[in-house]
Amino acid sequence: MTIDEIKNVILEIIQDIDDEADLTNLDPSEALRDQLDLDSMDFLDIVMELRKRYQIQIPEADYPQLATLDSCVNYLMPRLEAA
Amino acid sequence: MRKYPLLIIGGGLSGLAAGIRFARFGQKVLILEKHSKIGGLNSYYHRQGKLLETGLHAVTNFARPEDKHAPLNRLLRQLKIPRRNLVLHEQIFSEIIFPGRASLCFSNDFNLLLQQIKEAFPGSTLSFTDFVAALDQYDPFVLKANISAREYVSSFLQDELLVEMLFCPIMFYGSSEEDDMDLSQFVILFRSIFQEGFFRPQGTIKDLLELLLNQYKSFDGEIELSAGVDEIFTENNRISGVRTSAGEEILCDNLISTAGFPETRKLFHSADSAKTFSNSNAEKISSRLSFVESIYLLGQSEIKYLPKDRTIIFYNLADKFTYHRPIDPIDPSSGVICFPNNFQGTEKDDVVQLRVTHLANYDAWRKAYDNKDKSMYRSMKKFWMEESKKVVGEIIGNCIENIVYEDSFTPVTIERYTSKLQGAVYGSPDKIKDGRTNFENLYIAGTDQGYLGIIGSMLSGVSMVNQHILNKT
Ligand SMILES: Cc1cc2nc3c(=O)[nH]c(=O)nc-3n(C[C@H](O)[C@H](O)[C@H](O)COP(=O)(O)OP(=O)(O)OC[C@H]3O[C@@H](n4cnc5c(N)ncnc54)[C@H](O)[C@@H]3O)c2cc1C
Repeated sequence: MTIDEIKNVILEIIQDIDDEADLTNLDPSEALRDQLDLDSMDFLDIVMELRKRYQIQIPEADYPQLATLDSCVNYLMPRLEAA
Repeated sequence: MRKYPLLIIGGGLSGLAAGIRFARFGQKVLILEKHSKIGGLNSYYHRQGKLLETGLHAVTNFARPEDKHAPLNRLLRQLKIPRRNLVLHEQIFSEIIFPGRASLCFSNDFNLLLQQIKEAFPGSTLSFTDFVAALDQYDPFVLKANISAREYVSSFLQDELLVEMLFCPIMFYGSSEEDDMDLSQFVILFRSIFQEGFFRPQGTIKDLLELLLNQYKSFDGEIELSAGVDEIFTENNRISGVRTSAGEEILCDNLISTAGFPETRKLFHSADSAKTFSNSNAEKISSRLSFVESIYLLGQSEIKYLPKDRTIIFYNLADKFTYHRPIDPIDPSSGVICFPNNFQGTEKDDVVQLRVTHLANYDAWRKAYDNKDKSMYRSMKKFWMEESKKVVGEIIGNCIENIVYEDSFTPVTIERYTSKLQGAVYGSPDKIKDGRTNFENLYIAGTDQGYLGIIGSMLSGVSMVNQHILNKT
């Protein structure tokens, strides 16, 4: 997957969790949680959706690496290559 | 033999919510429910061609759609139920009344309560503001040892009457402890009742239950009714599976029990496993608190004699408000009177409903129920309902007449239909706050985990799956 494809996957998952989330002005280097009014319960949904869709297992210790859109891409890139 | 990654005991609100959560991400889950209907404490039945709800006065935790972090909206997101698909009717306002002494009204606008306290307890206005500020800072979800809410509240508020009036709705709507409660529980209930408030979803509890069930099934969740769990099997400190009332053995990787803590203990047939699960005996960990709930259907002509603006009245006539098992079968000196027709925007009905709750003595009702003379229980019910009606008449200023239908259920009824020992609606006073047990793959959710009520029990189911099971294997 390309960087943009991965970004789109994340955005699509977020939209699915909260269809009213405004994704137009997201700063990719800022924490998603602060920009989107999400809490840790919603955050778990991103992890679980990735697991369901791409069978990638993200251990709890790695959650901080999914904090921003950019860091998601960095983290997921090698893992999604296989997918 | 069938095997599931997750088995859930109980198809009440917590079990359904837990099931939706797990099924949502494509994993197999089976709910086993003993009763022929889902809903548990919050179910329904039909009489007089009408659907009657067993346990719905009002749903707590009202929140506006834009308030995304509010428990109600978080819960709906977790269950993937769009908020806009629901029509919610807010309460008009409710009243706490200690006749001859004071009355406090509150609504879904917290300012009303502040204003009322200012008028009725001018000397306590400032300390109440400090008290609320302290509660706002308090995180009830951080695990800590029990703290007496009574002592905590009294350390801010010197007026004992005000303290009792605040405790009255909070205890009736969620305390499993006699005359006190854990501070965390208090804070959760203070927020959900006073700061967030009451509503009813459009329709009846049946619609809400069907919404949950359909959601569960749309994620391929499985459920079996009239399928009680009779026994839980263990193997090396783990749960290996269960045996159902039909004699089937089903294996599982994880088990969530929403049946209650003492009730779950009874499902271990070997003494060793029961002991591993818990050292205290079942009697000791059951709550002594239960209620009698009466439902009245009144003819339309009665409506002019009933309050039109109050949704729920919490009252106390005794010198001191107490909340413990009464000596008599019921204690009509305090209670809750609910007017389900008095929510904003509800449709006019040809009959008016009235619901009344009083504290009740389980042993007294059990003794009458088990008596060889079957008329005992019925006549006891009749006698106490008349006593209750007199008091309710006093509180609402008119006797209740023109009754089309009336029914009441006792602690024994609750025990029979939900298997809650001693009819303990709010479960055991010893909450398992983290949901863990001595078996590494058995978790407690619902009432005995600590979140109560309709929203609370669903949040409990959701949280236990999130914390312990999702993404753990
Ligand atoms: C009269 C009354 C009025 C109430 N009013 C309100 C209100 O107005 N607002 C509010 O928010 N809350 C109210 N409540 C409280 C609310 O109903 C409960 O807090 C909530 O429903 C608890 O859900 P639960 O899933 O934890 O437990 P339960 O509903 O008890 O669910 C447990 C389920 O497990 C099943 N079960 C038990 N043992 C077994 C077994 N061995 N095998 C299989 N299944 C088993 C039971 O049949 C039951 O269905 C009221 C309760 C009552 C009784």
